[in-house]
Amino acid sequence: MAVVERTAPPAARQVPAGPRKGWRAHWHLYAAISPFYLLFLAFGLIPVGFSLYLSFHRWDGLGAMEWAGLTQYQYLLSDSDFWQSIGTTLVIWALATFPMIFLAMVTAVLLNSAVRFKNAYRFAYFLPSVTSVVAVAIVFGSIFSTDFGMVNALLQAVGLDQVAWLNTPWGIKIAIATLMTWQWTGYNAIIFLAGLQTVPGDLYEAARIDGAGPVQTFFRVTLPLLRPTLLFVLVVSTVTGLQSFSEPQVLLQTTANESTFAGGPDRAGQTMVLYFFQQTFDNNDFGYGAAVAWGIFLVVVLFSIINWRLVQRRGEQ
Amino acid sequence: MRLSRRGVLRAGLAGTAATALGGLTTGCAVPTGSTGRNMVLWYWSGGLGDSVVKSAAARYEDSVRLKAVQIGGYYRSKLITTMAGNANIPDIAGLKGEDMASYLPNSDQFVDLRTLGADRLKSRYLDWKWQQAVAPDGSLIGFPIDVGPVVHYYQPAVFERAGLASEPADVSRELNTWEKFFAAGEQLRKRVPGTRILTDVNSVFEMSIGQGTTRFVDEDRTFIGDGPRVRACWDRAVEAKRRGIVSNIVTGTPDSIAATEKGTLPSQLNASWAAGDLKLAYPRTKGRWRVAACPGGPSNVGGSFLAITRACREPERAFEIITWMLDADNQARGFTEAGLFPSTPASYRAKRLRQPDPFFGGQITMDVFGPAAQQIPVAFNSPYDVALGQPIRDEIKNVGVLGKDPKTAWEDAMKSCRRIAKHLGVNL
Amino acid sequence: MASIKGSGRRGAALHASLIIGVLLSAFPFYWAVVMSTHTSSEIFSYPPKLLPGSHFLQNVRNLFDTIDFFGSMGNSLLVATVVTVLVLFFDSLAAFVFAKFPFPGRRVLFGLLMLIFMVPAQLAAIPQFVIMSKIGWIGSMTALIVPAAANAFGIFWMRQYMRSAIHDELLDAARLDGARFLRQYWHVALPVVRPGLAFLGIFTFMGQWNDYAWPLIALTNPDNVTLQVALSQLNGTRGTTDYGMVMTGALLALIPLLIVFAVGARQIIGDLAKGAVRG
Repeated sequence: MAVVERTAPPAARQVPAGPRKGWRAHWHLYAAISPFYLLFLAFGLIPVGFSLYLSFHRWDGLGAMEWAGLTQYQYLLSDSDFWQSIGTTLVIWALATFPMIFLAMVTAVLLNSAVRFKNAYRFAYFLPSVTSVVAVAIVFGSIFSTDFGMVNALLQAVGLDQVAWLNTPWGIKIAIATLMTWQWTGYNAIIFLAGLQTVPGDLYEAARIDGAGPVQTFFRVTLPLLRPTLLFVLVVSTVTGLQSFSEPQVLLQTTANESTFAGGPDRAGQTMVLYFFQQTFDNNDFGYGAAVAWGIFLVVVLFSIINWRLVQRRGEQ
Repeated sequence: MRLSRRGVLRAGLAGTAATALGGLTTGCAVPTGSTGRNMVLWYWSGGLGDSVVKSAAARYEDSVRLKAVQIGGYYRSKLITTMAGNANIPDIAGLKGEDMASYLPNSDQFVDLRTLGADRLKSRYLDWKWQQAVAPDGSLIGFPIDVGPVVHYYQPAVFERAGLASEPADVSRELNTWEKFFAAGEQLRKRVPGTRILTDVNSVFEMSIGQGTTRFVDEDRTFIGDGPRVRACWDRAVEAKRRGIVSNIVTGTPDSIAATEKGTLPSQLNASWAAGDLKLAYPRTKGRWRVAACPGGPSNVGGSFLAITRACREPERAFEIITWMLDADNQARGFTEAGLFPSTPASYRAKRLRQPDPFFGGQITMDVFGPAAQQIPVAFNSPYDVALGQPIRDEIKNVGVLGKDPKTAWEDAMKSCRRIAKHLGVNL
Repeated sequence: MASIKGSGRRGAALHASLIIGVLLSAFPFYWAVVMSTHTSSEIFSYPPKLLPGSHFLQNVRNLFDTIDFFGSMGNSLLVATVVTVLVLFFDSLAAFVFAKFPFPGRRVLFGLLMLIFMVPAQLAAIPQFVIMSKIGWIGSMTALIVPAAANAFGIFWMRQYMRSAIHDELLDAARLDGARFLRQYWHVALPVVRPGLAFLGIFTFMGQWNDYAWPLIALTNPDNVTLQVALSQLNGTRGTTDYGMVMTGALLALIPLLIVFAVGARQIIGDLAKGAVRG
């Protein structure tokens, strides 16, 4: 299909100014991409380098630093709490991301075809991503409460038992994932909507003449063209989703005596970043906190590469 | 309601906590603070009485321009960032009680208030509170703002139905030990079905820890969380679970609001400032509450201090200002304005603090709060307490909420503690 | 256009499912509105208040008395607008290069960009604070604007978008006409990627508007802060916070965001009658 050819990486096709000419011939290209890298050199490199340096030390945030060699990293590898937080983060991420991407895509396609009230719909779907976090906390705490919560009311209506959502390890994870899905589906739907605008209208026309139904059209025409957008959404959801912390914090409010970074019973909602906060701010262990942050970075990079590969490979098929 | 406090707010703002790491080794740099006539004071919303701050600014305007700044978000991370960054450091900074243990080892960041003559004011403040700001090297880094004595809030009508004592003096006397409190909890559950005396086991554990003079790590940097004292607190919390006097309700949800309003959770152990939370969260229960002494003795949660940083150019003037702001009269004002319970016993006799409180059925609550505040034990707070208390807190919660076997839970907690102690260089 | 049309039975089903989504999306927002019309104690009462109360104007008055709402909103508008303009330009320019031009080191540089994107944001405010105070930007909006002027998120997005939106024939044609690089960017690429730019603009503005962690550290003068920093000062401790006022502040702060969205979103679905962007 012509479509697929169009999305092929253009690099191969524009051979005339190939690498032979060396980088001098491309100075304008380097200049065009330079602002990002210059800003990173100016404001990002020192902080990043410093946190690396810090991860080889012990530091309480105010006093003198003490050389610790590789001990922070050795401890990181053996720290079962950190490994548990990786598992927690991945489970919550998966529970939130796949439904979210699916719903966002469906919403985008529906929005793309709805002719009337389009503005009103878009506006409403945008609201969750900007709603105040205090309100979100109160509403979701209420929706998932045991005796008076809407979710349990629905369960009982269809003859199922109540679930103590915020008091059980799986309940907590599901509640957090639901909150994330609610908050970011509209946001991603708008991304997909922008992506859908790159699909030329005559392709739909052609598909219709071929006798394709809406579902077929989606899989044969829309999805292949949406692949770059899908890749973007998946990678961004991975990078941000694996670094989530505010949702569990909001949902698992604690009493005054407890840490807000603890993540509820069985640490069921303690994501990697919450664990980082706990080490850094509750325990004043800034050196170990830095090592945890680098651990988080590695996990994020690893999963981003995996997801990238998955989407790319399917694109090649 | 608890939901409101640290939970949600710190959460939404956790972005701030995101300010973490770093601190360049600017060892030789001169710290910079305010400029010109300015004297900058950092605190948090509700950390000082508004009118006290205003009158301090007016009172000292001939000599300095007092700029009082309310810092939002996660207060300590902003303070540490500017201190480690050596720039724009405030002259005077509020320090929260729960953070004191982490400031104390770094007393060189603050002016030793003894050098400014603090000792001559010592007798006017609660001694245990004063001791909380004494660093290991003997210097005094903070001047007392408020304290948070723990008391027993309860609904007398429900207690009466259960055949329990209901007058504050009787409740204080008849429920003065944990054993009697637990027995009352059982009686309450039996006589008024569906009712529990406490929401969860964690408050039993926390208040018990706070009633002693040691916590999880001692002065010699040795882990004592495996010792008899913490174990006794643990066993007490487990017993509360075993005897069925705690609920399955999650604090802060509509379940807990409804249960508290209905009177099926008619009682809580909490600090003085929780009175404000009750009034805010349950306005319809006005008149249905009373205050009694906490079973097992008084303890403290929260409270705060004012410190003078090393960047301050006029420590004498700063000291004059903070001692005025925190004298007995102004602390009494702080209590009526912001619920800051005074650390100056002289304030407890102030007329405006002895008004009958209609929310508590006209009770003069100071009769309970005052004695509680004066009897709080002096406990040692190690900078490692939070790290080594957390596994035990996590596991007692698992026992309370998930019904985990207490024996396994204790073993798991000790295993975690040993691992963390080794990592932090705490002796076992 | 797609075979689904907004009419007939299929249209009704379409609108029905969209409306369910709308209700789910908007409900917590509606609740926030309701909360802003009540006093603090009403907010936490049970059963929850589902209809607006009468306290809104009082909350607004309290809010305006407590913080410099319009002054800090002006700062937020300045920062968010300038950053959005800079980001749209720098990110789309860099993305155009990554999407459409081969050059030595492209893969490595793009990989580096993605790696930087993945660095946890929590990594280091203190060194950044030190750098900024050394160059004297602490306390000024410059400390917020300059570091945010280009970002990996936007470059990644625009690159993905341009790969499918800008067809090579279009660039080839421009090249045959003798258009140089900047002309290709300005006259060929930009007009085609308006929906992508609109998305980036909306979310850059939103990100800056709601940004909170760094501004709180960098803005040391309480008389000169952004709106989110000002609002954070309302959150007190222990029984003293006025939640009605906090919710009112959070809600009023959303109005500029909603306007930006309403204007920007128009660009995302252009006038469909004209047909989608063509290659």
